[in-house]
Amino acid sequence: MSVSMLRKVFGLPASALVLGSLGLILAPSARAATLQDPAPAEGDASGDKDGEPKKEAKEEWFAVTNADVFTGTGSLLRGMTVLAKNGVITKIATDVELPEGATVLDAKGMRVYPGLVAISSSGLLGGSSAELEDTVDPFSSRMVLGLASGITSTGIGSVAAKLKRGEIKGVVMRDKFSTTLSYSTSNPSTKRTLVEKLDGAARYLREFREYEAKKASNKELKEPSKKDVDSSVLAVLKGETMARFNADSREDLIGIARVAQKYGFRPVIDGCAEGWTVADELGRAGAFAVLTPRNRSDKSEALVRAGGTSIENAAILHSRGVQVVIIPATRSVDLGGIAGRDIMHLPIEADFAVRGGLPESAAIAAITIVPARVLGVDHRVGTIEVGKDCDLLVMDGDLLHYQTFVQYAIVDGKQVYDKEAELWFGHIRPRTTPSMAPETRVDTGEEVDPNAPPKVDPPKEGEKPDEEKPVEGEKPGDGETPPPETPKDPPKEGGGGSDG
Amino acid sequence: MKTLNAILLASLPALGGAAAVPDVVAIKVGRAETISHGAIEHAVILIEDGKIVSIGQDLPIERGIPVLDLEAWVAMPGLVNAYSRIGLDSRAGDEFDPQVSTYDELYADDSDYDKLLEYGVTTLGLYPPGRAVPGRAVVVRPGPDTAEEMLVAREAYLKFYFRSDSRSKKMVKDAFGKVDAYNEKEKKAREKFDKDNSGKKTEEKKPEEKKPEEKTATQDGEKKDEKKDEKGKKTYVPAEPDEKVKPFLDILNGKLNMLVSIGQAADFLHLMDAVGERKLSFDLRIPMTREIDMYEVKKQMGERKCRILMEPEITLTPGTMRMRNLAQEFATAGSKIVFLPRGDTLNGHKTWLRNVGEIVANGLPRETALRAVTLEAAELMGVGARLGSLEKTKDANIVFYNGDPLEAGTSVMAVMLEGRIVFGEVPQ
Repeated sequence: MSVSMLRKVFGLPASALVLGSLGLILAPSARAATLQDPAPAEGDASGDKDGEPKKEAKEEWFAVTNADVFTGTGSLLRGMTVLAKNGVITKIATDVELPEGATVLDAKGMRVYPGLVAISSSGLLGGSSAELEDTVDPFSSRMVLGLASGITSTGIGSVAAKLKRGEIKGVVMRDKFSTTLSYSTSNPSTKRTLVEKLDGAARYLREFREYEAKKASNKELKEPSKKDVDSSVLAVLKGETMARFNADSREDLIGIARVAQKYGFRPVIDGCAEGWTVADELGRAGAFAVLTPRNRSDKSEALVRAGGTSIENAAILHSRGVQVVIIPATRSVDLGGIAGRDIMHLPIEADFAVRGGLPESAAIAAITIVPARVLGVDHRVGTIEVGKDCDLLVMDGDLLHYQTFVQYAIVDGKQVYDKEAELWFGHIRPRTTPSMAPETRVDTGEEVDPNAPPKVDPPKEGEKPDEEKPVEGEKPGDGETPPPETPKDPPKEGGGGSDG
Repeated sequence: MKTLNAILLASLPALGGAAAVPDVVAIKVGRAETISHGAIEHAVILIEDGKIVSIGQDLPIERGIPVLDLEAWVAMPGLVNAYSRIGLDSRAGDEFDPQVSTYDELYADDSDYDKLLEYGVTTLGLYPPGRAVPGRAVVVRPGPDTAEEMLVAREAYLKFYFRSDSRSKKMVKDAFGKVDAYNEKEKKAREKFDKDNSGKKTEEKKPEEKKPEEKTATQDGEKKDEKKDEKGKKTYVPAEPDEKVKPFLDILNGKLNMLVSIGQAADFLHLMDAVGERKLSFDLRIPMTREIDMYEVKKQMGERKCRILMEPEITLTPGTMRMRNLAQEFATAGSKIVFLPRGDTLNGHKTWLRNVGEIVANGLPRETALRAVTLEAAELMGVGARLGSLEKTKDANIVFYNGDPLEAGTSVMAVMLEGRIVFGEVPQ
């Protein structure tokens, strides 16, 4: 079943499968296959995360119900319940019996997508990538804006991180997922250095394998020396980290593709503007292309060959088996720059690739599972599957539609964003009544639980709030007590109309 | 009447230290905000040797005791500012110097201190400035002309400047890690000591078999205690810890408070991460910047029962003009509030209570607010048993107002510092 299904899922021609990317596409979809069947998929996958100890004591359940689930693996599952335990999806099915104490989010009339993955960004977690775990600011407004834009995971420098609001634990999913290498025809020394490093590392690997094979029989053999072997390039050849290049010109792209094929690794190429002219080469090399479809550059007038940017770039690369990642031009939240070109517009950027012919499923993959693969976290995020992290977006329409808003964002089975409850977009096409009504008094910090039943007890008139010791004979006017609390907002109703 | 004159005499040159102090005096006030026991109407406060001997409603006054009849006034404990640099130089360090004490930079002859008394501030905590760990704060009484006379307590708290970065986190871990290392070393040294001694003794007196048990019991107990054997011959003297380790040892033993200065909600989470499972109590200094996001972690702070040292300010929810009363939010969540003046200037102290009044007008319980400028601040500095409330045995630091202390327009009429009138005139 797998080849035909894969074609359906990824919209790939068979040639692409046979050529470059077979290994990497097959691996996740083998898992995906368990989900193709809309029958209840079960499996207790809690505590499955890397290095996280199992918490046996406390089970936290979270469920999105009545959801039209766009899994990101190619299927649309209507009216589903997505159930998660301790942040990991355990069930995607209908008629799910919800465990006691589960937090439930009704997504009736809305669509559920996997959380988006921004392959690189800056500022969303407030910290520096070098020591993200020690500097992350999980309360920064940038993180809220990131979640409002649907981003739940991102690469920062060479760290793969999660937008965990209000928490500093488990923010870093993976360290050193990529190594940036230089290869440029305009600066030939970079080519030479790179090839030297690769040669050295490859030789070391060969010698090491030989040593491994023979050391049992011949105990006098010495382990080959790692001296003069570039450790980051070695890590690339061992498949521990991705090799990342910056290249736009056809010559550079061809060069990188050939080097990659010769030494057997899959390059990640940022830019890739002229990739459409050498898409076959890149496809054979199993390359990842990180594109900004709205970038424009003219072809060099001095050259006769095809060049410059093309609106079809993403579509052509995809059709040749290149795995396409899409990222807007500005990698940070930029409210003062060119509107719609900052990190808050991943789906809009992907739309421009669709405009050039990229299938919608591939466009969604380009901002979810494909970047997750580059970050090396595709076993945890990027699609909605049992066993993966419960990072979901509840949206009021098609992900790629310009009018669609993220209504709720869920990260690790916790609702971390609610459009109505936040400052930024609550007033635009509100689900119910506007929540940003003018304030008449100072916030006393009473929290309104969106899931709580409406408060029924009316404010008692003339009664002071409890005080430890009522003071007799207090002068009128002393220590004026505040008026009793009134519920701030009417409780929200799950689900409003979708895009009308 | 003699005694009364003596009081008035003593009031003239502020606190010379040499002025004669009346032994006993009774003060009748319209109302006393005791802080510890609520408000008492028509209170009588009996003062002897600068301490409050008793306080209560319409207490009978023994004949012969001079009485100050101040029925029109409201008495309150002298204000305590736990966090000030008044009268000190500005300097900034960025070093790990827990052994430094602000006492060493105290310059008593500053006229600002006398002015503070006029505003009702009778106790000051002077903190060491700078980032990282700048040192320990000192508790002083404003007024006297020498540092020795100003001193109330040498060690108020250790100041720890903490921000979300690996350096701060490492500093926390290292500081307490060194205490662990010291304790471990001491434990071994003590075991060795015990072994050596008990070995001899068992040879001398075999029948006494109780000894080893006792020893293990003491080992498990307080490590620093000196231990004597039955005859008192040999005593184990623990090695003196390094001067940079000792403050943290004291903190873990509950002998010294730690005041951690943080700047945003994330800092608190990182601080908790650095502290880890260690049982450690600390208080927090939080600057009330305009859009501070501290409400995000109020629950966690409340669970830890932190004292929060903050200015009486109304802040805004970030990105909005929505006002928040953080003091009230923290108090509701279980934290204890300590207020300091909005600005560390004379004017800040002058308008201090008025600013606190604004917070009360916006919902903070009055008792919490009054406590936050007196007893809670004293407890933060470890002098809560000695001052900060109108209770018997406590220092007679009393401010007399001509009305409600939190009401705008109320003035300080007189200030008493340890039984002596140091500002104002007391009507007879």
